Amino acid sequence: MRQAIVYGVISGSTYALIALGFALIYNVVRFFNFAHGAVFCAGAYLNYCCFVIFRLPFWLSASIAVILAALLGVSFEFLVFKRIRKRGGNSLVLLIASLGLLISVQSIIAMVFGNEIRTVRSGLVEEGFSLFGARITSIQFNILLTSLLLVLATSAILRWTKMGTALRAVANDPELAATKGIPPQKVIYFTYLLGSALAAVAGIMVSLDVSMNPTMGFDALLYGIVAVIAGGVGSVSGAYLGGLLLGLAQNLGVWKIPSEWKDAIAFAVMILFLLLRPQGIFGKRIFKAQV
Amino acid sequence: MTYICHELVLISIFSILAMSLNLLVGYLGLASMAQAAYYGIGAYTAALMSLTLNTPLPLNMLAAALLAGLSAMGISWCALRWHDDYFVLATFGAQIILFSVFKNWVSLTNGPAGLGGIAQVSFFGFSFDTPFKFLMLAAPVAFACFLLIRALARAPFGRLLLAIREDEIFTLTLGKDVRRYKVTASAISAALAAIAGALYAHYISFIDPTSFSATESILIISMVIIGGAASLTGSLLGATFLIVLPEALKFVNMPESVAATGRQLLLGLSLVVLMVYRPQGLLGTYRFGRNQ
Repeated sequence: MRQAIVYGVISGSTYALIALGFALIYNVVRFFNFAHGAVFCAGAYLNYCCFVIFRLPFWLSASIAVILAALLGVSFEFLVFKRIRKRGGNSLVLLIASLGLLISVQSIIAMVFGNEIRTVRSGLVEEGFSLFGARITSIQFNILLTSLLLVLATSAILRWTKMGTALRAVANDPELAATKGIPPQKVIYFTYLLGSALAAVAGIMVSLDVSMNPTMGFDALLYGIVAVIAGGVGSVSGAYLGGLLLGLAQNLGVWKIPSEWKDAIAFAVMILFLLLRPQGIFGKRIFKAQV
Repeated sequence: MTYICHELVLISIFSILAMSLNLLVGYLGLASMAQAAYYGIGAYTAALMSLTLNTPLPLNMLAAALLAGLSAMGISWCALRWHDDYFVLATFGAQIILFSVFKNWVSLTNGPAGLGGIAQVSFFGFSFDTPFKFLMLAAPVAFACFLLIRALARAPFGRLLLAIREDEIFTLTLGKDVRRYKVTASAISAALAAIAGALYAHYISFIDPTSFSATESILIISMVIIGGAASLTGSLLGATFLIVLPEALKFVNMPESVAATGRQLLLGLSLVVLMVYRPQGLLGTYRFGRNQ
């Protein structure tokens, strides 16, 4: 039981990072950015490339991977989403374009690295130690810690920096923010940078703890979306808690329900939330579908 | 020759899927991501009926269409509470749940191992056992679907769908039951997809869940979008293009695995490029999803 809870929190904290980045981007640009999964996957493979193939030290390879993946996220906005918005496409057009980007990046990765499952394991992994009566590896401990620190850092950026305040202003009301002299495009770039960096870190975490394959972005993205909806669309802290809850629910659910139904359960939960509590657990505003 | 006929049969089946989905995407502006699930419901219904009751194809098709139509009514009745991107998410969820059912309800569907030995189609002693003969069956069915959807689209029913797409609230003020029209259109679309599924099951005579995954749904909606929303000939073109593409890649000496990935890459890139420069698709006239 304790083991399941601890594992739930560990996988939950990677979902939470994905969901956090996804929610940040959603709040500013108001569409479901499927390309978030592409950035997640690119982060994992870039780290693999630097760490395993070029044999760079881990801190360096991880930083390079996060920076490059974050720039990839920004380039999507620069090359694709900005143009679509200029031409008057709505959130559905943006969603389909981002789905196209996800598929493209996945296939490029599959062409370069092959379809097989890979792991990035350094020698230290086997050492386990005890936490609240459950055994966890040092990597899992680092994942928990990194995730927690990144969430605190993100909240601090949002709350206390000028850019973070501008981000919240644009998320709240882009036109009003523009009248106050906040440049929306700059804020959008910054949002993609921040959100994509979080996704890339989550991708590296999953590749360290579990494994990686070219379609990992898709699965992670789906869990991220479920987490965002469960936590409440529009609420950044809700997205994080939604991710933790999803991880817990999945790991505790395995006790009663065979694990191959994991995806179906996640989506049944999402549909139930959409039906019964569209504002999510922590959302305050009543969500209204726009016609 | 057999090879070309095989490709043509697949094109017929996928044109039915793309045209039926176009009824939702093009005429209602609803991007459903669950078309492969209805296709799967049709294929599994036909396969199970054929294997257990040994019923002929027309009866299986009818049962498949009914079952898929009914499930689509249920699913869309829920999913239609939402618009645009939330509708996409909800149908995506339905697709993944139904895929899990195909894959994990082993006692019914035999799970990932799939169902084999589905009977060849024969009418009055004439057996459609080669791709060429089966094409004689599949192509007319596809053509009938084309005529049916075109007739629906031109009928008052189709004009009402267009009205809903253009201005839902205004259509409501005219006293039209918007939700009922949307549910009906979803049911028709799913029933036609199930007919394609029944054809597929009897043609290949072996089905497994991978043919009805979320990836297939994305493939089908890409056919619609690339061909052009609200254009049936566009859907035909889109289906032909995306079925022939991996074969064409094989001819330029690409190994099969790379050809499959190559198709995915081209599919992704064409979605991106079309969304930026031509959201109405190659032959479409409706710039779907533009801001009003």
